[in-house]
Amino acid sequence: MVSGKPHGGSQQEPAQEDQDPDTHLLSMPTQRGPRSLPPLPSASRTGFAEFSMRERMREKLKAARSKAESALLQEIPTPRPRRLRSPSEKELETEFGVEPGRETQRTVQDDDSQSYSRVKFRDCVRKIKSKPPLPPGFPSAEEAYNFFTFTFDPEPEELEEKPKAKHREGANQEEVEGEEEGPPVQGVNKTDEEELLAGRDAEHFLLGSHHGAEDFVAVRPAYYESVHIRLQKEKELLFIPSRLTVPTYKKLPENVQPRFLEDEGLYIGTRPEVPRATQNIMENRLLVQESDRRWFGDDGRILALPNPIRPSPSRPPALTQEQDIHAELETLYKKAVRYVQKTQHMIGSGDLPENFQLDIDISGLIFTHHPCFSREHVLAAKLAQLYDQYLARRQRNKAQFLTDKLQALRNAVQMGLDPAKSHKSVDITPKAINEYKSEIRQTRKLRDAEQETDRTLLKTIIKVWKEMKSLREFQRFTNTPLKLVLRKEKVDQKADEEAYEAEIQAEISELLEEHSEEYEQKMEEYRTEYQQWKAWRKAQRAKKKKKKQAAEEHPDEEVEEPSPGEGPVKPIPPEPTQRAVLEQQVRERAARSRRRPGEPTLVPELSLAGSVTPNDQCPRAEVLRREDVKRRSVYLKVIFNGKEVSRTEGRPLGADFRVHFGQIFSLQIVNWPESLTLQVYETVGHSGTTLLAEVFLPIPETTIVTGRAPIEEVEFSSNQHVALDHEGVGSGVPLSFEADGSNQLILMTSGKVSHSVAWAVGENGTPLIPPLSQQNTGFRSALKRADAISSIGTSGLTDMKKLAKWAAESKLDPNDPNNAPLMQLISVATSGESYVPEFFRLEQLQREFNFVSDEELNRTKRFRLLCLRSQEVPEFRNYKPIPAYDREIMEKVFQDYEKRLRDRNVIETKGHIDSHRAVVAKYLQQVRESVLNRFLIAKHHFLLTDLIVEEEVPNISILGLSLFKLAEQKRPLRPRRKGRKKVTAQNLSDGDIKLLVNIIRAYDIPVRRPTTSKFQQPSRSSRTFRERHAASPTTHSPTHSADYPLGQVLVRPFVEVSFQRTICHTTTAEGPNPSWNEELELPFRAPNGDYSTTSLQSVKDDVFINIFDEVLFDVLEDDRERGSGIHTRIERHWLGCVKIPFSTIYCQARIDGTFKIDIPPVLLGYSKERSVITERGFDSVRSLSEGSYITLFITIEPQLVPGESVREKFDSQEDEKLLQATEKFHAECALKFPNRQCLTTVIDISGKTVFVTRYLKPLNPPQELLDAYPNDPQATAELVARYVSLIPFLPDAVSFAGICDLWSTSDQFLDLLAGDEEEHAVLLCNYFLSLGKKAWLMMGNAIPEIWFNIQRYDSPLRVNFDVTKPKLWKSFFSRSLPYPGLSSVQPEELVYQRTDKAAAAELQDRIEKILKEKVMDWRPRHLTRWNRYCTSTLRHFLPLLESSRGEEVEEDHRAELLRQLGDYRFSGFPLHMPYSELKPLIEAVYSTGVHNIDVPNVEFALAVYIHPYPKNVLSVWIYVASLIRNR
Amino acid sequence: MNGWTLSILGFYYIGLEAWCMKFVHGAMAEVHVIGQIVGATGFSESSLFCKWGVHTGAAWKLLSGVREGQTQVDTPQIGDMAYWSHPIDLHFATKGLQGWPRLHFQVWSQDSFGRCQLAGYGFCHVPSSPGTHQLDCPTWRPLGSWREQLARAFVGGGPQLLHGDAIYSGADRYRLHTAAGGTVHLDLGLLLRHFDRYGVEC
Repeated sequence: MVSGKPHGGSQQEPAQEDQDPDTHLLSMPTQRGPRSLPPLPSASRTGFAEFSMRERMREKLKAARSKAESALLQEIPTPRPRRLRSPSEKELETEFGVEPGRETQRTVQDDDSQSYSRVKFRDCVRKIKSKPPLPPGFPSAEEAYNFFTFTFDPEPEELEEKPKAKHREGANQEEVEGEEEGPPVQGVNKTDEEELLAGRDAEHFLLGSHHGAEDFVAVRPAYYESVHIRLQKEKELLFIPSRLTVPTYKKLPENVQPRFLEDEGLYIGTRPEVPRATQNIMENRLLVQESDRRWFGDDGRILALPNPIRPSPSRPPALTQEQDIHAELETLYKKAVRYVQKTQHMIGSGDLPENFQLDIDISGLIFTHHPCFSREHVLAAKLAQLYDQYLARRQRNKAQFLTDKLQALRNAVQMGLDPAKSHKSVDITPKAINEYKSEIRQTRKLRDAEQETDRTLLKTIIKVWKEMKSLREFQRFTNTPLKLVLRKEKVDQKADEEAYEAEIQAEISELLEEHSEEYEQKMEEYRTEYQQWKAWRKAQRAKKKKKKQAAEEHPDEEVEEPSPGEGPVKPIPPEPTQRAVLEQQVRERAARSRRRPGEPTLVPELSLAGSVTPNDQCPRAEVLRREDVKRRSVYLKVIFNGKEVSRTEGRPLGADFRVHFGQIFSLQIVNWPESLTLQVYETVGHSGTTLLAEVFLPIPETTIVTGRAPIEEVEFSSNQHVALDHEGVGSGVPLSFEADGSNQLILMTSGKVSHSVAWAVGENGTPLIPPLSQQNTGFRSALKRADAISSIGTSGLTDMKKLAKWAAESKLDPNDPNNAPLMQLISVATSGESYVPEFFRLEQLQREFNFVSDEELNRTKRFRLLCLRSQEVPEFRNYKPIPAYDREIMEKVFQDYEKRLRDRNVIETKGHIDSHRAVVAKYLQQVRESVLNRFLIAKHHFLLTDLIVEEEVPNISILGLSLFKLAEQKRPLRPRRKGRKKVTAQNLSDGDIKLLVNIIRAYDIPVRRPTTSKFQQPSRSSRTFRERHAASPTTHSPTHSADYPLGQVLVRPFVEVSFQRTICHTTTAEGPNPSWNEELELPFRAPNGDYSTTSLQSVKDDVFINIFDEVLFDVLEDDRERGSGIHTRIERHWLGCVKIPFSTIYCQARIDGTFKIDIPPVLLGYSKERSVITERGFDSVRSLSEGSYITLFITIEPQLVPGESVREKFDSQEDEKLLQATEKFHAECALKFPNRQCLTTVIDISGKTVFVTRYLKPLNPPQELLDAYPNDPQATAELVARYVSLIPFLPDAVSFAGICDLWSTSDQFLDLLAGDEEEHAVLLCNYFLSLGKKAWLMMGNAIPEIWFNIQRYDSPLRVNFDVTKPKLWKSFFSRSLPYPGLSSVQPEELVYQRTDKAAAAELQDRIEKILKEKVMDWRPRHLTRWNRYCTSTLRHFLPLLESSRGEEVEEDHRAELLRQLGDYRFSGFPLHMPYSELKPLIEAVYSTGVHNIDVPNVEFALAVYIHPYPKNVLSVWIYVASLIRNR
Repeated sequence: MNGWTLSILGFYYIGLEAWCMKFVHGAMAEVHVIGQIVGATGFSESSLFCKWGVHTGAAWKLLSGVREGQTQVDTPQIGDMAYWSHPIDLHFATKGLQGWPRLHFQVWSQDSFGRCQLAGYGFCHVPSSPGTHQLDCPTWRPLGSWREQLARAFVGGGPQLLHGDAIYSGADRYRLHTAAGGTVHLDLGLLLRHFDRYGVEC
C-alpha cells in the first residue's frame, strides 16, 4: 500500500502528515469528486508530548549521524566534494530513508515556538518568495519535502497561485531525482481544478520542457557502509547475549541451594521444548536486563508453564486422514444404487447380526485319578500333585519373602529405637515402633507357618516316594516312569549355624520383650483388680458384720449369702516368663519347622526317567489292567449354551493317563455366550460311552483374543463308581495301601482339562466379540463414550485389578491431573475393594434432574392409554378421545387389556367344552397375535398406488369407446351392471356404508307335506348314490309353471337377511320357485368405527340369509265364528339358510350368483321332492334336484377398495434359483392374464415362504376310515372327503385380520382342527394321492407340478383339465428347469389318535344340556316343555343320520317318526356341523327359530349326537323339533 | 424480614408445593412437536429426498407419532427449492429436560438413473420454547479421499457415515473432512404442557 510514497524516508517523523497524501495518492485515479480530502486537522495539533519526544529522538539521531558521518569521512574521502555540493541530509533522506526528521528538525529549529505546520507553511512560502534567484527547478530540500509531505490548509485563497508554482517545482524535482515513482505526483491536497492544472503542467513539461535535463542531475556514487563499520556501530548499539550456559548460582539469590520440586514429589508438568542455546541466550539476557532474578524459579531455571502444546496435532494433515479415524466417524464409500422399492420387507429376520467367533483350544486331558489306575499310579499321581505343589510354593517362596520382611522390620525397629544411628531424620514415633513390633510378631508367625508347611510338604513328598518305591519292590514291576531325585545342597556349616543361632536369639529376645510387656500389662491389670477385690472384701466384711447384727436381731430372716461366683475372685498375680522356658519353646519350634543348621538343603526333582516294566514281565492282573486301559478312549463334547456344537475325536487313553487332543474349535456365535461346557466322555471298547464329567469353562474376557490366551487347566471329577476285576483300583470304591486294609481312602475319577478359550480376531484385526449385552445394544456406543477409562485410550476394561497393574507397570504419574480420575478409580477399586458399583449409570446426573420418577411416569394413565393406542393394541386401536387429564380416565379402561395379558398363558376351559379345542383356540390366538405384531410395521408400508389415485389419462381408444356410448341405447334390453367408482376406505364413518342384498329368486324350495296325509305312503326313492351324483346340478331351470296340486299353496317362502343384528325380510312369495326380486338395504358398522382396510378385512360378521316358510294356522276355536272373523296365527318354519361372510363380500366387491341353500337333511313336514310331479309322470330328471338354490346379488354401497393381500416377501428357505424362477413364472403369467391368480409360493405358519408343491404328498388317511369300506374305493373316497369336510372351516382372512394367507401343513391343520379352504384341499388331495388316485389341487395351478391356465376362460367349469396339453396348461417346471425333487414339508405319516368315545359322550351330554338351557332362555315368557319320548327317539335316530351322512334316511325317518309321534304336528330338523366351538352351535339352533313358536301347548325335543372321528374330529348332530299335539 | 424468616417461608413454600403435587399427580410434562419439513435449498443436486429421525434422551418417552421417516423425492421445476412438506407430529412425555429432542436429517439425491446418493447430513434441536418456529438446518457430507471425490463426481455414490449416530452425537468430528451441503427448512410448532409444574418456565 505504501509503495507509492514519494519520500520513503520522511514518513516516520511526521506520521500524521504523510498519511494523508498517501491515501490520497492512491485514491486519486478514481476520485474525481468535488473534494478528494477533507481538510485535515493540521498537524498543528500535535501535542507537546509528541514534540518533546521528537526532540529526544532527534538528538539521539543526531548523535548517531554525526558519528556515522565522521566514520564516512574517515573512510571515504573521495566523494566528499560532491557530497558537499548536494546537501548530505537530503541524500540521506531520499536514498536511504535513515534520516527522518531532518527537515522537521530544521524547521522546528527555525521556529519552534510556533504551531508546527503553520510555521512550516509560512516558512516555505517565504522561502519560495524570497528565493527567486535560485536556479529554477532547484527547490530547497525543505521545499521538496514540504511539498510532498505537508498538509496544506486549503483556506488561504490568496495562496492559490503559490502552491501551483510550488507544485510545478516539486514535480520537476521529482522528475529529476528519478525516483522509482514514475508518474509525476500531482495534486496533493488540491482541488480538482488544481489537479487538472497540475496535470497540464506536467504534460507540458513532458512534451517539451524548456529546461535542460542536466541541470537537475547530480551524479552520486552508490552509498556503501562497510560491514565492519556496521558491526562496530551495532556493537555499540546492541547487546548480544552469550550462548554459554549460565551457572546456576548466578540465577539464584545468594546462598540458596536449588530446589527441585519434582524430587519432593510435587507434580510438575513437562516444560515446553526449547533448544538449550536459546534458553542460554534468554537466561543471559535476563541476567543482564533484569537483575532481580524474578524470572528464575527455585530450581534455577526459567519459569515456565507446562507445555501447552498437545503431543498430537489436532488437525491432521490432509492426506493422512485414512490412518486413524474414530470408529464412529468412519465413512464408507457407497456406490450410488438404484432405490429398491421397499416392498421386500423382510419380516422376522431383521438385520442379520454379525458373526462372532469363539476359539476353543482343547489341548489335552490328564487324569489325576482313573478307575484303571494301579496302586502305583495312585501314588504317582499323589506324588506328582505334591511335587506340583512344591514347585508352586518354591516359585512363590513365601518363606523367604517373609524372612526378608522380618529382617527389614527388625532393622526399622532398631533404627527407631536408636535414633543416633539413623542417618536420615526419619522420626519414628513410639506408636510406629509399636506397630512395627506387632507386625514383626505377625510376620514371624506367618513365616513359621510357611516354613513348617514347606518342611512338611518335603517330608510328605519323600514319604510318598518311599511308599512308591516299596510298592514297586513289592509288586516287582513298575508302571510309571516317575522318579524322584533328592538333590542335596551343601551349606556352610558354620555360617549356617551362626545365622540359625542369631535368628533364635533374636526371636527369643523379641519374645522376651513381648512377654515382659505382657507381664507389665498383666501386672497392671492385676493391681487394679486386686484393689477392686480388696475394696469388695472390705465392703463384704462390713456387710457381714451388719448382717450378723441383723441376724441377731431377726434370726428367722434368711441371710443371703453371696454366691462365691458373684464376687470378684481374688486375682492371681501373673508369673514373669522365664527366659529358659522361652528359649526352649523357640528352639523346639525351630527344630520342627526349620532346617537344622548344617543340614544340607534337600531339593526334590521329579523326572520321568524311570522305565516301565514291559507287559510280558508283569503278572496277569496287571496285563489285564493295561489292556483295559488300551481299550479305553476319551472324547470331549463342546456344549455351548446347553447345546452340543462339536466334539473332539476319540483319543485312546495313554498308559500315563494323558490324552492329547490338540484341537481348536471355532464357534461362530451371534450372541454373548451364556455357558460353555465341556463334557468328558469315555468309551470302553465298543461297548458304550459314559459321561464322566462336565467341565464348565469360563467365558473369556473381552481382552482375551486368540494368540494371547494362556493355556489353562480346569479340574473335573466324576462321581461314578467303578470296581474292576484287575489291578485297576477303581473309582469310588475304598482302597487301602496298608496290608491290613486299614486307612482306607476313596478316590473318585478326576482329572484336568487343559484348554484355552479366546475370542477370534477378524480379518481387520478386530476381535470378533459380541457386545457384552446385546439386549441393550443401543446403549453400547453411548457407554463407550462415557467410559471413564476411555480417557487413557483403552476402553471397556472391566478388570480393575488388571488396570491397577497396568497403571503400576506403565508408571503413570499419580500427580498428573490428567490421570486424576484414573488414579481415583484405581484407588477406589484396589484399596477399598469393598465398593465398586456393579451398575453403570448412563446419564449420571439424569436422576438428579428428573421431574418425576420412572414409576410415576409409567403410572400415568393418560400416557399409558396414548401409548397403547399408538401401539395399536387391539383393545385400544381406535380409541378416539383420550382425556386431557389423568383423573378423567377410568381405571376400568385397562381392565380388559390387563386381563388378557394375565390370561395369555392360562388356558380358559370354561368357555370351551372340549379341552383340546380350548388349547387349539389359545394356540390360534397366539399365532394370530404374533402374526399381527409382525405385520404391524408392514402395514404402515405404503406403495405408490396406496397413496396416489391416478385417473387414467383418456387415450384414443377410450375416447372412441365413450363416443360409442353416446350411440348406446338408453335402456338396453339386457342391462348390465355398471362399474362404480371405488371409495378408499379412509374418510368413512358409521352409516356411510350399506350392504345391498338383492334377492332375486329361489329354486326348489322344499314344499310342505300335508300332515294329514298320514295314509299317503311316500314313495321311496329308488335312486342310488351314483345316479344322484351323476345328475348335473345345473338343472335348476326356473319352473314357475309348477302346478300346485289342487291349487293348494305348497309353500310360502320369504327370505330374511340378518346382518349385524339388523334383520330385513322380503315379502312372502308363493310356491317352491319363488321370485322376489327385492333389494334389501342393511347398514354396516365397522368394529370400533375403524374403516381402515385391515379392519374391514377382519370383520367376522356373516350375512345370514334365512329362508322361512310362512304358515298360516287357523286358530279359530269355534267354527261358528268363521263367518264373522278370521283368526289365524302366522308361524314361520325355517327351511334353510345361506351364510356369506362379510369378508368375502368385501374382498370380492360383489357377489352375484346362485347359491345352494343349506337345508337340513331332514326337514320334517317338508319334502324336498315334489312327489306330485313324479306321480304325475313328469320327466323325472327335472325333479331330481339336489337341493334348493337361491339367486343373490350382494354388494356394498359405496364400493370399497378391497384390501390387497400382503405383498411382503418373506424369508424363505427355498433355493434362490427356484425363487427366481417363480418370479419369472409369475411375471409371464401376469403378462398374459393379469386377473388370474397364480400361486407358486405360499407362506407357512411360521411366516416363511414355501414352494407350494411341498405341501402335496401322499398321506395316509385314518385307518378307521379305510377299514370302513374295504372293497369300495369310491365309498372310501367319499368317507375321506367327508372326514376332511368335518374339520371346521376358518378363513385365514378372518383369523389373521386379512393380512395374508397362511398355509399350514396337514398335521398342523389336523392339530389345529381349523383351517382355510386350501388346508382342506391340501389334506384331501394328499389323502387321494395316498389312495392311489391321480389328484390335483386346483388353484389356477395344479399339482404335482405347477400349471398355469392359459386357456381363455377361468371359470372352473370351462377349464379343460387335461394338463398334458401344453397348449392349454403352462407348466412351471420345464426342460430348462427340471423338477428338483423338492422334499415335502409334510410329515412322513400322520398319526391319528382315536378320539375318546367317553369324552365325546360327555361332551354330547353337556352340549345338549347347554342347548336346552339356551332354548329356555330364549323363551322367557313361555313355559318350555320337553318331550322326552320324542327326544329319545330323535337321539336314536341321529346315529343313523351320521352313518348315512345325512342322506337316504329321510323317508325311513319320517315313517318312523310318524309311527311314533302320530298325534303330534311335528316340525323340526337335524342340524349338522363340524364341531369347533359351542357358540356356532348355539347360533345355528337359534337361527332355526324353532323356539319362536308360542303355541301354548307346544313341546320341544332336542337331541345331540356327536360322532367322533380320529384326531378329535367331531361331527355334531343336533336335532331340534317342536311338537304340537293334534287335537 | 430477616433471612431466617425468609428461609422458613421458603421451606414452607417448598412444602406447599410438594403437597400440591400430590394432588396434581399425573400432570407430567408433555411436548407436542407438530410441523413439517418444508424442503431444502442450496443443494447442488436436484431431485432430493430426506430421511429424518428424532433422537431423544433416556428421559423421554414417545407417546404417539413416528420417530423417523422419509420424504418423497422432489424435483423442483421452478426455483431450486425442493419442497417436501413432510409432516412431523410427535407427542412426547418427559421426566426431565436432559436429552431434549433433536432432529437429524439425511438428504439424498436421486440421479437420472434412479440411483440415490448422499447429499448431506444435518441435525438441529427441536426448539425449547412454545410457539411456531422456522428452522434452517445446514447440512454437510463427508468428503472422503481424492479418489472417492473423483469417483463421486463421475460415477456417483459417495462416502457415508458408517454410524449414523455421529450425525447428532458429539464424537470427535474434527477428523472428518466435509463439504457443505444445502439447508433443510423446517416449520415446527411446539406445545409444552405442565412444564411449569416442575419449575421450568416457558
